[in-house]
This record gives sequence, C-alpha cells and structure tokens, in this order.
Amino acid sequence: MLLRLITRRLLISIVILLLVSILVFVATLLLPGDPAQAILGQQATPERLAALREQMNLNDPVWQRYLSWLGGLFVGDFGTSTANGSSVAALLSSRIGASLVLMVLAAVIAIPVGVLVGSYSALRRGRTGDHVVTGLSLVLAALPEFVVGIALITLFSTTVFTVLPSVTMAPPGEAVWAYPSQLILPTVTLVLVVSPYIVRMMRATMIEVLDSGYVEMARLKGVPERQVILRHAVPHALAPVAQVVAIQLAWLAGGIVVVEFLFRYPGVGQALVDAVANRDIQVVQTLSMLVAAVYVVVNLLADIVGILTNPKLRTEVSR
Amino acid sequence: MNTVSNHPDPAAPPGSGGTSASSQTRLDHARADRVRLAQLTGALSRRRVLGTGFALGVGSLLAACGGSQAGVSADPTGPAQRGGNLRVGLTGGGASDSLDAHVPVNTTDIARVVNLYEPLLYRDENFELQPLLATKIEPSTDAKVWTATLREGVKFHDGRPLTGDDVAATFKRITDPDDPKSGAASLGILDEVVVVDEHSVEFRLKSPSAAFDDTLGQYSLGVVPADYDPANPVGTGPFRFKSFTGGQQSVFARNEHYWRENEPYLDELTILNFDDNDALINALLSTQVDAIGQIPLALIEVIDADPRISILNAETGSWIPFTMRVDKAPFDDNRVRQAFRLAVDREQMIQQVFSGQGTVANDLYARYDPGYAADLPQRVQDIPKAKQLLADAGYPDGIDVELVTAPIQSGAVEAAQVFAQQAADAGIRVRIRRVDATEFFGENYLQWDFAQDFYYTRNFLPQVSSSTLKDSPFNETHWDHPEFNKLIEKAVATIDDDERNDLIAQAQTIEYEEGGYIVWGFSNQADAYQRYVAGLVPNRTGLALSGFEFRRVWLGGEK
Repeated sequence: MLLRLITRRLLISIVILLLVSILVFVATLLLPGDPAQAILGQQATPERLAALREQMNLNDPVWQRYLSWLGGLFVGDFGTSTANGSSVAALLSSRIGASLVLMVLAAVIAIPVGVLVGSYSALRRGRTGDHVVTGLSLVLAALPEFVVGIALITLFSTTVFTVLPSVTMAPPGEAVWAYPSQLILPTVTLVLVVSPYIVRMMRATMIEVLDSGYVEMARLKGVPERQVILRHAVPHALAPVAQVVAIQLAWLAGGIVVVEFLFRYPGVGQALVDAVANRDIQVVQTLSMLVAAVYVVVNLLADIVGILTNPKLRTEVSR
Repeated sequence: MNTVSNHPDPAAPPGSGGTSASSQTRLDHARADRVRLAQLTGALSRRRVLGTGFALGVGSLLAACGGSQAGVSADPTGPAQRGGNLRVGLTGGGASDSLDAHVPVNTTDIARVVNLYEPLLYRDENFELQPLLATKIEPSTDAKVWTATLREGVKFHDGRPLTGDDVAATFKRITDPDDPKSGAASLGILDEVVVVDEHSVEFRLKSPSAAFDDTLGQYSLGVVPADYDPANPVGTGPFRFKSFTGGQQSVFARNEHYWRENEPYLDELTILNFDDNDALINALLSTQVDAIGQIPLALIEVIDADPRISILNAETGSWIPFTMRVDKAPFDDNRVRQAFRLAVDREQMIQQVFSGQGTVANDLYARYDPGYAADLPQRVQDIPKAKQLLADAGYPDGIDVELVTAPIQSGAVEAAQVFAQQAADAGIRVRIRRVDATEFFGENYLQWDFAQDFYYTRNFLPQVSSSTLKDSPFNETHWDHPEFNKLIEKAVATIDDDERNDLIAQAQTIEYEEGGYIVWGFSNQADAYQRYVAGLVPNRTGLALSGFEFRRVWLGGEK
C-alpha cells in the first residue's frame, strides 16, 4: 500500500519536474538578450555576434533546442554549456559534489542539534535555559544567512580573530574537503540558519506531547521519566519535525546560493548565478531541475517518515 | 595598453567596419565585464550592499573594541626581491572566461591577457603610449603606411624568437572576416600587414591615419606565434600559462625567457575569480589574497583604516555620461540639452556618487589628450538659466523625461538618482526606468532617448571614432555634426601634433556647446593590497591594479 502511494507520488513528481523544465526554459527565454549577447556584452559587434551565435547553435529554433536538451536528459546527456562549450555534466559534477558536501554536513549537524536543543528547551519550559534558547532561535531565525555569515567571518576570520579562512580557495580539481578549515564557516552558517526552525518545531511538538494524556498516563503508571521521554514523547514529537526538517533541507538546496556566494564556495550556487548571467540555458535548466528534484525527493521522504511515525496515517494509507 | 584609436575613415563605405573605426578598446571589454558583473550582482545587489556595509560596520566596531590586528607589517623598502606567489582577487569573470589572446571580455580575462601576451605598444600608467614589442613605429609622410621595428631578443614562452611573420599572422587572426576578434572593429582601416624583414613589418592602411599607433596599443592585440592555438596559450608576456579553470582561478609561472631584465620578480601569479565584493574584501582581510582589484569607492576609507592594508587610488579618465539623443525630441533642441547640462551640480555628483573620489568634468571626455580643451570655462549648475532655456524651447512648465539606467558600472544608478533630484529644481521631471545590464545592452542599446553609458580612459580621436561620428559603433547620442565631422576628418590625417591638437580643441568646443553627452565627472579607480606587496603604482588607464602589470610587483618582508 505504502508502495502504491510512493509510486503515485513519484509519477506526480516526474510531471512536476517536466513542468519545471518548461517553465525554466520559457523563463530564460524571456530574459532580454541571448547567450551570445550576454557573453559579448557591450562589445557585441554584429560580426562577432553572428560568429558566436553560429558557434553556439543559437540559430536553431527554440523548440528544437528544448527537445534536444530534454531528449539528452533521458540518456544522461545534459547538453553543452553555451558559455564555455564544455559538457554541462563535466562543468557541474564537481560543483554538485561540493554543494552536497556542504548540505550533508549542515544537515548532519543541524538535525540532531535542533532535535536535542528543542527537546531540552521543552523539558525546561519556562526556565532560564528555555528562555535563552527561545530568544536565540528567534533572533537567528530572523537573520538572513548573509548576515549570519558575515558576522561569523568578522568574528573568526577578518577582524577579531584571524583564525579561519573567510573564502574557499581550494584549487580547481581538488576536493573541497581536502581543506577542512575552509568548510567550517559555511557549514556553521548553514547550521545556524537552519537549526532555529527545527528547534522551535521540536520544542512546540514536544511540549504538546508532554502535555498529552498518554504521557501523563505513563507517568502515573510510574514509568521512569527518562523512558517516558525517550519511548513515548520523542517519537511522537518527531513526525511534525520531519516536515520542518524536509522544508529546511529543501531550502538548503536553493538557499545555499547566497552562502556559496559569500564564501566563494565552488558549488552549484555560483554556477547557477553565472549561468543566469550568461543566459546559459542548458546549465540553468539542469540546475533548476536538480533543485526541483531535491525538493520533490525530500518532501517524499518527509511524508514517508510522517506515515511511519504516525500510526493513524499508517492505517489510513492501508485502508 | 588600452586605448584604441583608430581613426574614422570618411572615405570608406558605411558598415565597412573601418569607417567609424569602431574603436573597440579594452574599454569595451571592461564594459562587457561590467555587464557580467552587474548581472551577477544585480539580483543580489541589495544584499551585497547591505552585506558589505554590515561586514565593515561590525568589523570596525569590533576593531575599535580592541580586536587584535595580527601581522601588521611595514611597507617594503629597498631593492626588489625575487620570488613568491602573488594571489590576486578580481570580480567579473565567469564560466565563459577565456585565455584567448584576442577575445578578452571581462576584467579577469584582461588581467590574464596582459600578463601572458604583449602588443606592439601599450599605454603606461601616465597614459603615455610606450613601446613594447615594437621599439618604434613610424608613419610614412602620408600617414598611410606605418613601419614597426620589432624589439630584438624577444622570445615566446616556448623559447622561439619573435619574428615579423608572427606579427603578420597575429593581425590576420584578429581580422579574420569569418571570426573577427575583439580588436577587429578598430582595425577596419588596416589593409594588410607586410613583413619587410625578420624585425620589421609594415601596416598598410586603406586611408591615412595620423594616430594609428594608438590603435596598436590595445591589450587585445597581443602578438602570438604564427601557429597560435588558444588551447596552448603562448605569448611573450612576463608570465607563462600553468593552469586555468574558467570562473575559478588561473595560475601562471614566471617566464624565464622574458626580455626585460630581472622582471618579473614573482615566481608565480595566481588570479582568482570572485563573484562578489563581500567575498573579495573578506579574502583580503583574512590574508587569503594579496591584492584585490576595484573596491567600491565608498569603502576606501573604511578599508584603509586597517593597518595591514594599503589602498591604490588612481585618478583616471573613466566617465559615466548621460546620453541624450540629439536626433529626437526633446533633445533635438540644443536649448534643452544645454538646460539639462546646466541642471547638474557636478561637485555634488562627485561627492554623492563617487564618495568624493573623482574629478569634476566639463561635458568633455579624453581629459588626458594633449589636445584637451582645458581652457573652456567650467560649466556649473545654473537653475535660472536652465529654466529660461527650457521655457525658450517651449517648456515653460517644465519637462517630463524618462531616464534609462542600469548597473552598468558602479555609480551609474546612483548618478541617475542624484541627477533626478538635481534636475527637479530646474523643472525637469525625471522618471527613472531601471533595467538589468543585459537588457540595457540588449536590442535597445544605442537607441534609448535618454540613458547612460560608461567608458574608460581614451584619447580624443579614438573616443570620437568609437562614439561620436555618424557610423561610430557606440554613437548613443546619434551625433552627426557636419562641422565637427570635418574637423575630425582633418585631425585624423594631420601628422603635426600642434596642428592636430588645435583641430581637436576646435572640435571639443563644438561638443561643449552642442553635444549630446552630459559628462559630469571622471571616477577614480581604487584597489586594495597587503602592505607587503610592492611595485603597484596608480594607473590612469582605468584598469585595476596598475593596469595589471604584475611584472613589476614584488613581495617584501615576511608573508
């Protein structure tokens, strides 16, 4: 039953991705100027424009360019970047890897930290620790990622202490994790940006669960407090948190752009901004599809976690 | 290295490319870069501005609170030291970056090209034309044939000697009609390059040009071997290719065959691309790079407050004019143009747009040209007179105009806003239409009625051939003035300097009285570098970091 649900969701996802691809394609076409014009900018004399357009196959009809790109997708060919003539796959593979490293690091740290801090805060409801956590998470949630990033850079790398690098300078071709110190600030920034939501959600649901009848019942029955929390409260609090985590992870896929910009991190964010500026449709398409795919997959996973942790939903599904 | 010149050739048919001798200078490349940069940052601009301000604000606050400033070192003194790797951070590049000697499009391309390749002549830091691979280049009496004598003992990176054949092949590659390179537009006047012997070549022109040497001083005309292939970028420059990843970084090594004695001092040169000014400045402050090009003028003082950092603040001839189409209402009436020019408070423009880092201009460009008409009275704001002129032109109740602006160069959008404010007093109601840089330079570019543009330092004739003749490639104002044209035609063919300068001054007087540009100021070019970096000097060309002449740079003290 669960399988049927997932299959259906998968089919919907594919339709969504197709629509996204058309939307993105049309959107890039609506941007004034074409790739040749964007690359040459002001020095675009008619002769140079014509030569470049010819080299880039820009004289083919629009639909033909779209279909050949889409067709390529099915055989794993993402097309050729108009900006530098190399294959999109080659251009993006290392960048996708680099962004993934950052995202996974941030997620692996932020999720447990968020759950722990949120639970702690809920258990200390009304006390100083709770107030501190609530206040801090409110402030952090209100700050855009670039403010958090710049504050960290100022504190640890440029002005107060100069102990950490402020930008990533790994030579191209070398893995970003070969220089771990360069990963610290971007990761911490993302963690600080993502965690507050998880903390707040965890705290809220935890409080709700702790106030619920079955926790009270368990306590009345004399179940040790530790077991009450770990066995009864936390699992029930996790389902809604999974949704928030999913949203945050999906946000990471797109929101990473700003952080990558700030730290000169060689990930997809940089590539995407560059590609939009160059009107490099193939690259914009591929990256948008990727981000859309992350959204879809992460939401799917969140749903599954929700179903698995919520018996009521589970029975509804198998109805 | 920069300016082009190429003189208009009135005899050539329109569209021949030579006619207007579209001087395509580095200006254009740099401008293209601006486009790119603007595109990159357009979406993020507010965040960027906020971010930088915030970073520096917090930074100075914390510093004021007694933050430790580690590693303060004094300016290097004494003789130049050999060795070291200079890490240079620049914004403006991207995935379309190239190492091709003849198609530099953005700032990072230019920085690479200047260090890998060398043209026959170049513009030095004082904007003087200097010999580079040619020791001299002289015109025939009719200015139709220019003979270049090549420097002896110059070798390419692979050790082969430079010959006349290489020079001829270089120009053939640039002007290839099927794939014209950046410099081709300004070389329309060039008929052929003839190799006289091993060490001299003749440039035969289709029509006389008294300043053809100016054209040869463009950085996009670097001489390459006859069998040049951009995949194997060989030139005669102070550094040779080591590695390159577009949009990220390039590493160059010292050219052991370089013809100048002792230079370059560095063992290695690394040029790093940045997308964003925040990251660029942070990288400098955290000593991850040694020098950065083009910092926002508003941040000069803040960055200079850091004892580890030096600022290179250079006056240039770069200008961001407002452009009025002289062939369309309301600007086809000179009284309206004059009124607009009189509405501008130039001093205030410099203060607000360039944070005071610039020079007031007088509706004329080419401030370093020997023929610059410096004796014309400085135009100042005169609101009553502007109102009077508008009334005379049929706008007694003021006038409504649309000003198209885009982040084509730092300061452009700000200038538009300040102008709108200043002009309001004269009854000029400006509606600002802000577009993105690609749209600005898109289909409507050169067709806007009232807009802006951006140029680096150039001398008068190259600038004119680029923007103020009927067939100039960038004639935004649609300027086509018979008397002016005649003067330019004469000046181009006049070899005598004094005579030519006199003609130039006359032409400038016409522009001063009737032109379609509002040239309100020349901006400075500011860079920042670590104290231990030596050999950078202010450069008038407008190119960052001493015109990217890293051959002269050396690293002092501990690093």
